[in-house]
Amino acid sequence: MSFSSDVLSQLSNAISARAEAAKNAVVAVRLGEGRHLTGLVWQSGVVVVSEQALLRGDEFELVAPGGSTVAAKVAGRDASTNIAILKTTDSLSAPAFAAAEAHMGTLALAIGADGEGGASARLGVVNLVGGEWHSRRGGLIDRRIVLDIGLAHREEGGPVFDAAGGCLGMSTFGPRGQVIVIPHATLTRVVPQLIKDGHVARGWLGVALQAVAVPDALRESADQTGGMMVMSVVEGGPAAQAGIVAGDIILSVDGISAHRFRKIARYFGGDSIGRKADVRLIRGGAVITVQTTIAERRAA
Amino acid sequence: MSEVASDIVVAGRLRVAVHADDPLRRTALCKVVAEAGHIVVDLQDEADIVLADGSRPPEEVRNVIGLGIADDRLRGTLPREADARQIDAAIRAVAAGLIVRAPARENGFGAMRESEGHALLTPRELEVLAALAEGMTNKAIARRLEISLHTVKFHVESLFRKLGARTRTEAVVKAAERRRNEIIML
Repeated sequence: MSFSSDVLSQLSNAISARAEAAKNAVVAVRLGEGRHLTGLVWQSGVVVVSEQALLRGDEFELVAPGGSTVAAKVAGRDASTNIAILKTTDSLSAPAFAAAEAHMGTLALAIGADGEGGASARLGVVNLVGGEWHSRRGGLIDRRIVLDIGLAHREEGGPVFDAAGGCLGMSTFGPRGQVIVIPHATLTRVVPQLIKDGHVARGWLGVALQAVAVPDALRESADQTGGMMVMSVVEGGPAAQAGIVAGDIILSVDGISAHRFRKIARYFGGDSIGRKADVRLIRGGAVITVQTTIAERRAA
Repeated sequence: MSEVASDIVVAGRLRVAVHADDPLRRTALCKVVAEAGHIVVDLQDEADIVLADGSRPPEEVRNVIGLGIADDRLRGTLPREADARQIDAAIRAVAAGLIVRAPARENGFGAMRESEGHALLTPRELEVLAALAEGMTNKAIARRLEISLHTVKFHVESLFRKLGARTRTEAVVKAAERRRNEIIML
């Protein structure tokens, strides 16, 4: 058997070639004290990073492919989808990668930045693929992609490729150290919004709500067991204008049960801004309905 | 660090400053620290340990144990859900000059959880809970809420059951954990 026909060598060479090609897609984002995390070069001058891993701050120093240092400014953050973008002051060219869909059991190659202009590689399989989901902060993630890959903290935020070299998305840590992927489709949807506005547009009522059980005496008239109690109202916000006060228990918004967070998060997407919504609530032992006009959430 | 540590009687009481953005959480953590036999001190005072929840106090140079803070530079990092036993163990270990780490990063980017109606607390139970967090007795709670002592006991028992808590402190701590999943800004 000649070297070139050995399947394992071929596989190894192919992986190495892919990892080599991906070098230009990652930068190191310096965090100080010798630490860094990985950024994914999304388009010319725009770097995508994991929002949860990025320290607070406006300016960061990047180590570009090859080792040169580039200054960058935080141009947008969205904790709900775990995406932040940095814009570089000097030009930084982006390699072209095709988007790819994840399939359970296929090979996945995760690339990180080594901090000196090079890359580091991690190989594993796509552990599982599921449908869309909502993050704790209410952001919509287009696919659930879990990898069977161990990742160092400095590698978080790098691109993940399939066997054909297509980009599945950005690596990040899920709960309990699980490595998950923010899908390419989510990046494609969110990054342009962040570039344009610095945040993702969402509907807003101007209330802080806490999930509560509907008191027994009101269960029948409320016709549901859970609601959202208004803890505070933002002055001048849509809820305040509609006369909603702290202590009200919101049962539903336009027929959607308020304690169904996922449905509510979906309802309050960017397209809800300007919409008139009927809010059904308990006040002083009675169930009433007030009308509000959803506004755009102010930048956090 | 190690020179300082050797001077400390680790089995004894340690001075712990508590930093938390959420006042209810701060109260709960102070109780945990006090009940573990340590002395709660102000952030400005001399402290052996700074226990920080959610965010690191700016420019803090003392030994910090972070709860739910992903920062490898801290001497101690615990998940936000760490229980009283773990917090006490971490305080003693870091004071002894050791580094404390939880096995894996617990607070990664995760999915939204929805609570079932029956497990949620009622508005009245939340009021009782707030009073518990202030360290009030059942009698004092009855006076504040203008309800009978019997009703207070009923609510406290219901709180324990729903939260899976055995003590008042545990109830306050567990409720603070749950609040993160049950509060949304809309």
